[in-house]
Amino acid sequence: MKAKILKISGLLFLAMFLLNNVKAQEEQDLVQKCSVAAGADATYLKDFVVKLDAAGTDNRPPMYRQSLALRKNVTYRFSICNMEESEGEAVLRVYDQANMILSTWYPDSGKEFDKINFKCMKSGVYMVVISFKEGKKGEAIGILSYVSN
Amino acid sequence: MLKKVAYIIILILVFYSCKGPNNELNMPGYELASGDIQIPEEAMEDIIQNISSPIEMAALIKDLGLNFSDQYLSNLDLVDNYSSSFKMAYTLGMLGADLGYLNVYERTGSSVSYLAAINKLADGLKVSQFFDFNTIKRLATSNSNLDSLIFMSVHSFNEMDKHLQLTDRSNLSALMIAGVWIEGMFQVTQVSLSQKDPVLSEYIGEQKLILNNLLLILKNYERDDQFAAIIKDYEELKKSFSKVDITYEISDPEPVEQEDGMLMVVQQETSIISISDNVLSEIIEKTKTIRNKHQLL
Repeated sequence: MKAKILKISGLLFLAMFLLNNVKAQEEQDLVQKCSVAAGADATYLKDFVVKLDAAGTDNRPPMYRQSLALRKNVTYRFSICNMEESEGEAVLRVYDQANMILSTWYPDSGKEFDKINFKCMKSGVYMVVISFKEGKKGEAIGILSYVSN
Repeated sequence: MLKKVAYIIILILVFYSCKGPNNELNMPGYELASGDIQIPEEAMEDIIQNISSPIEMAALIKDLGLNFSDQYLSNLDLVDNYSSSFKMAYTLGMLGADLGYLNVYERTGSSVSYLAAINKLADGLKVSQFFDFNTIKRLATSNSNLDSLIFMSVHSFNEMDKHLQLTDRSNLSALMIAGVWIEGMFQVTQVSLSQKDPVLSEYIGEQKLILNNLLLILKNYERDDQFAAIIKDYEELKKSFSKVDITYEISDPEPVEQEDGMLMVVQQETSIISISDNVLSEIIEKTKTIRNKHQLL
């Protein structure tokens, strides 16, 4: 009996370990794919792997927030890729304190972009916010790249 | 019987690989000194995101059309002697900046020895699972896909840093980030000695903001003697940075749709960095002294 329990536990742990490794590798592949989609003139700097639930009863969509430092005289590229299984469509916005600087979706004009260049003229801390349209649940990857002048 | 042994081995391996954070702190030669962490972990992560990327400084240097020099790289001879995780984490950061510099300048052949040293340090810190040495080495030696090489290198560093934070080793993450920063600063300041460039001077001046953030993180661990020594040196550098003025002109950003349909947002609000030649020289000199001293710590 003891041997059986030991056997099952061992197999279970091994399966979990392998599953974790596979998941990590899959995630890295997706990040790399998204970074390639940012363009040949862009050098990968950071990624934002986002998985959010659907909006709750208060209808406020969950948001991913990450602050990051951007530097003067550098052109950055923000790009967003939705994962295949994602229900919602991701929107990436960048804020300088309370002011929105850019968005991959402008509902008023209906314009959408999967990547946007940002010519930074003020060194400082900015905020990247990623959410999903209509508060749907979803998974996406945001990429920050350096664009060569 | 053999099966039983095999299962026990598997269990040990799995437990070892999933080893908890507390175990990982007990590494040879370095333990975190007792004392309260003043900044919450989430805030720490936020601050760390605001420190230099191992490739950004190098990309900026190359964009300015400045030549490559191996004089700006760390000495690898000492790496074999490092046994404390403190030293390993700090050096890992420094070598990360060197690798970024080598990759950006496509000196991939020379980067192999740096890759080997990084792998050794990552192994010592138990984060080598995020550094796919063989793939990165293959990409470096085949010289065929620079984009993949840069992606793999930078992503590995991001993942190692994340893992250190997730496993309650933010102290080592802070050291790694500090290493990236001081080495990047050394490269940029040395380059600016050989070629005066206003963009470079501004870039150096604005590191005042980064250094303040960095000190905020490092001071969490100042009860530790080794951290205290680094903080003392960085405080010395901060004195020189206090003579750098940063002011802002406020205006709204301007979105412009480019010919290829991509949106370009040009920020109209600007930061103005005032740094005199004397202060610049002072920062260059202090950076060099600190970086060289820390290499030998």
